[in-house]
Amino acid sequence: MIRFKQIEERLKKEAKILLESGEVTVVLAYGKGYDEKHPMPYAAKKIADVEDLVFNEYCNHNMARYLVRYPQGTKIAIAVKAADSRAVVQLIQEEKVKRDDLVLLGIPIHGMKDPRTGEVIDGKTTCGMYTPVLYDVLLNDDVHGHKISPYDVLAKYEAMDKDERWEFWKKELDKCIRCYACRKACPMCYCDPCFIDQSKPKWADKAPQSPGNMMYHLTRFHHLAGRCVDCGECSRACPVNIPLYLFHKKVAKECEEMFHQKAGMSIEDKPVLIDFRVEDSDKILE
Amino acid sequence: MLKKIVIDEISQLTAVLMEMGTLIAPVKEISGHNFMEIADPGQVDLDFYNTIMSPKSAFFPQKEDFVRYKTAEKLSAAETVLLDTKPVFLFGVRPCDVKSFQIMDIHFNHAGIIDPYWHHRRESTTIFGYAFDLDKPVDPADFYNTLGISASDPEGSDIFMVKKEKELLLKSITHKGEKLLAQLSALTSATSGDEQYYEEYLQRGKDYKTRFTSVDPEAIALELEDVFENTDFWKEISSACLSCGVCTFVCPTCYCFDICDDTLFSKGTRRRVWDACMFTDFTLEASGHNPRTQVYQRLRQKFCHKYSFHIRKYGVISCVGCGRCTRSCPVNIDIFAFVNIATRAKWYQRL
Repeated sequence: MIRFKQIEERLKKEAKILLESGEVTVVLAYGKGYDEKHPMPYAAKKIADVEDLVFNEYCNHNMARYLVRYPQGTKIAIAVKAADSRAVVQLIQEEKVKRDDLVLLGIPIHGMKDPRTGEVIDGKTTCGMYTPVLYDVLLNDDVHGHKISPYDVLAKYEAMDKDERWEFWKKELDKCIRCYACRKACPMCYCDPCFIDQSKPKWADKAPQSPGNMMYHLTRFHHLAGRCVDCGECSRACPVNIPLYLFHKKVAKECEEMFHQKAGMSIEDKPVLIDFRVEDSDKILE
Repeated sequence: MLKKIVIDEISQLTAVLMEMGTLIAPVKEISGHNFMEIADPGQVDLDFYNTIMSPKSAFFPQKEDFVRYKTAEKLSAAETVLLDTKPVFLFGVRPCDVKSFQIMDIHFNHAGIIDPYWHHRRESTTIFGYAFDLDKPVDPADFYNTLGISASDPEGSDIFMVKKEKELLLKSITHKGEKLLAQLSALTSATSGDEQYYEEYLQRGKDYKTRFTSVDPEAIALELEDVFENTDFWKEISSACLSCGVCTFVCPTCYCFDICDDTLFSKGTRRRVWDACMFTDFTLEASGHNPRTQVYQRLRQKFCHKYSFHIRKYGVISCVGCGRCTRSCPVNIDIFAFVNIATRAKWYQRL
């Protein structure tokens, strides 16, 4: 049983100490939304803001998404669940943020829910880990949720052959309305400008139909190869429920098999597709 | 004229409408209901709260092809894409969404230039409004009462529909609706009891309350003009905003578009596609300069357009309170919460 109220209290306490001492200028966590089921990402900057912090089972948002918005050197405290901490680690690896600028308030947690469907998201659209990989303070005792492999949900997808997969994605990606919520919710999508926004050269049609949709999604999938931390935010942000997590998980699994390294596990690692090692698998060339 | 049909036998009605023209109605998809062109009469599903996407695409599709051309050929050889001239039946539109068409009419049908595509579709479409189910709880995101719209407001529909247990009552509102209703043989005549039920339902709809705050268009426009330059305020309001386009794409009153030439090898199409003020490239100028590079500038544009500029220019708020933007927002930004503070005089000075 997770005591959300207790985590919320500890979160407020830590945030207050950090802001009071001036150790950080902003605390990235969760605030009240229009009802309990819909909390919002919240940036507490004043000590009085701390009272508005909340934490409940619907606080899915990956706060690492907001890190790159602050100028480098800003001292930031950030509330992280397991997948979120991996995103922070990956951002540190990619030199978008510095470890010294961050205070990580780790939240070991399981049983987070999707407010739209009410279903528990453990392992389905998130990475199946429960304790953050990097933290300065833990806001909860270690938790032991069900041991799930993040790749279990791939079983049905992997059973499809090449043609079936092509048909599957064609059908799913046809639904896309090109609102780009997936890219905007993604902590690893920080390119400015994103290739899809460029007009010289223009990489894809703007119209929400097959060729442009394919171009956008397949390119985004591959830009995230070896970098996706499997937080599942893209799939939850999607207004038309495209199961983007399936592709990301599949690519992550293949990367792990080939390079024996998961994205965002240690700040000592280098991003797999940047790091060249003689013993690397040649499978990628096949 | 009031007529009725058993809801389970609705496919008899929809089949007739499909023979007469194009039928656009709610269809259940995995992610929820959406308006779609019906191919099979059984597809129509009236058991929904509201659709994910607004019905604006019936008149203003996300992708509208204008001209097809070949790059090596002369301009005169380009062919215009002709509009479908069949009558259209837009079935099962909620009262707040019906009102949105009147707001969109300002831009496409009244103010200066008339958009032939919008105009033509509006002319050839018969709107079947559909009252909210008063026995089901109201969605916490909705706030159409704030904009003066009730859950059973027939105004703007050609035919208005109300659910009575297992039956659907259909009442003609306009002359167009009356003519059509008389033709539909799948319907049976309503009893005087049905008449009474219908009238009572319209009254009951007024007591079906969504979130409410009293909004005076003139006052809120002034407030927002006052706060426009207060950067800190807008930065705080937009601190969670991801600047994606969900809110504008699901919105029934957002009408911004881009016209682009999509060319593949030698064949090309000039088309109109929805665009959104939340995208960085929306304001990118040919010189390379971009007047709105920050998230707060873009969110300010969106809120102020709906609740300030639009009032100044056309006298009405460009929002119907359908709650779609709030429901679909990945980070749960609530436009009503914003409106709610903005209606209080000099609210920002207390920040």
